[in-house]
Amino acid sequence: MGRIALAVGAVAAIVYPIPLQIQGTTYYQTVGFLVLLNAMLGVGWNVIGGWTGQFDFGPQVFFAVGAYTAALLYVKLGVDAWLGLPVAVGAAALICAVLTYPLTRLRGHYFAISTVAIWMIAQPIGSTWEYIGAAQGLFIPVKAHAGVVGSALSLQFSGPTKALGYYYAALVLFAATLALMAWVERSKLGFYFRAIRDDQEAAEGIGIDSRLYKVIARSLTAAVFGGAGVLYAFWALSVFPEQALELNWSTLPIMATVVGGIGRLWGPVLGAAILIPISQIMSTTLGTGPLAGRGIDLIVYGLIIVVIAAFRPTGLLSLPWARWFRRRSATS
Amino acid sequence: MTLLRVEASTKRFGGLLANRDVSLAIEAGEIVGLIGPNGAGKTTLFNCITGYMHPDGGRIVFDGHDVSHTRPERICHLGVARTWQVVRAFGRMTALENVVCGALRRTNRMAEARARAGALLEFTELGGRGDMPAATLTLADKKRLEIARALATRPKLLLLDEAMSGLTPIETAAAVRLVRRIHEELKVTICVVEHVMEVVMPLSHRVVVLDYGVKIADGAPHEVVRDEQVIRAYLGERRAHR
Repeated sequence: MGRIALAVGAVAAIVYPIPLQIQGTTYYQTVGFLVLLNAMLGVGWNVIGGWTGQFDFGPQVFFAVGAYTAALLYVKLGVDAWLGLPVAVGAAALICAVLTYPLTRLRGHYFAISTVAIWMIAQPIGSTWEYIGAAQGLFIPVKAHAGVVGSALSLQFSGPTKALGYYYAALVLFAATLALMAWVERSKLGFYFRAIRDDQEAAEGIGIDSRLYKVIARSLTAAVFGGAGVLYAFWALSVFPEQALELNWSTLPIMATVVGGIGRLWGPVLGAAILIPISQIMSTTLGTGPLAGRGIDLIVYGLIIVVIAAFRPTGLLSLPWARWFRRRSATS
Repeated sequence: MTLLRVEASTKRFGGLLANRDVSLAIEAGEIVGLIGPNGAGKTTLFNCITGYMHPDGGRIVFDGHDVSHTRPERICHLGVARTWQVVRAFGRMTALENVVCGALRRTNRMAEARARAGALLEFTELGGRGDMPAATLTLADKKRLEIARALATRPKLLLLDEAMSGLTPIETAAAVRLVRRIHEELKVTICVVEHVMEVVMPLSHRVVVLDYGVKIADGAPHEVVRDEQVIRAYLGERRAHR
């Protein structure tokens, strides 16, 4: 059952943009790209927020670290994005580990506040540091590439296939993230993260170094955010502080995770697949015409999230789907 | 061989002396009962031994290591495991997963950890409950689960903090049997904190009594129950003089 669903989902994700591309539209490929990007971020955030139970509102710092690292390598040294990616992911994880270790002395709300504080400190650094372009940021020039393969190898798509190219690039990174986290969930790490979430003292009593494993958990989250930052930078062709450090890079994935099912591997995926298209539809329908510019789209969007949070705080995946499916197949 | 030696351990909370110059030794292979009225400082002493608190004075030596200022996870590595007065099962994990977490202390291989956890659930008579979320277990089963999780870390010394309080008489009898089996079959040294005398006396080889943070007696159960200071602590001044 699970395997069939996974196979159907994978085929659907691969085939989805092809008819659209043939029709000659690009908009829905971009929506798909944003769904995959936020699903990937949500799967990453789930490690620290869902499994380890530590509320992290500042992972966008590591999104920026990833984006800037890859952009700097490309602009200053001419290193291609795919080569810059592992460096950017490593830098995000390493910087996160160094910054997070002292924070692990804090618990609950205080830990959450401290993650926000680090994000606030990152903003003036980003907007004043000349080497990384200060408030102007960095522009990523598009080089000429020989055909589709050249574009794919350098993560630089342009023209009518730009949206399609980045959709598949996002699909690859998303799938890699999901596969990694599926393994983490079943490994010693996954057990230790959840033990710390459920009872930190008891976890320490059976030999779990809570500070070390919190650092590992947040660094895994940071690695995913760093990787997503690279992808976004090359899609946007620029990196600047207001964009890379935008609060939405944490709020959207967190909302997707909570709506879909916090602490469940597929929760953020379901959440992103629902919330991102709704947000796009809201802004294209309610955000235009006579009501434009009044934020009606955001109000409706917010209400949907409030309704789910109020009636099913453990997320849509926690609904008894298996039982409903069994009943349906029994009656038919 | 002395497994644990507490040397003049003192723990202060502001103006309150929770432990004052408490000294005791636990030999390998013993079952030691640690008793005393509510607020006598039993749990504080447990917390100091297991690294959740650090004594303000004195020393705690386990298996040749000074652990007075060591963190709990290190002390677990050295071979001390504990259970909690108020149960601390990992509520959102299944019973089996709880024990797997303990077993992962001694192995990184999931299959091995699962096998060991399954065996310990059988040992603690929780065999049929492996897939249940720990939060849904009864109090008696949660306490057994905590014991199984602690045993999974392969301790040399197991500290049970009121493992039998709040249980029905039948459950208590089963818990006493379990403690005996841990001692006999797994060869684990055990220290039990209880304030129920009827449970501790038949179970323990030796009993240590705390009152107002001070050790007032240490000896065989039948000696301790006749000790005048112990009677006074439990029953009050008038009874002691009869």
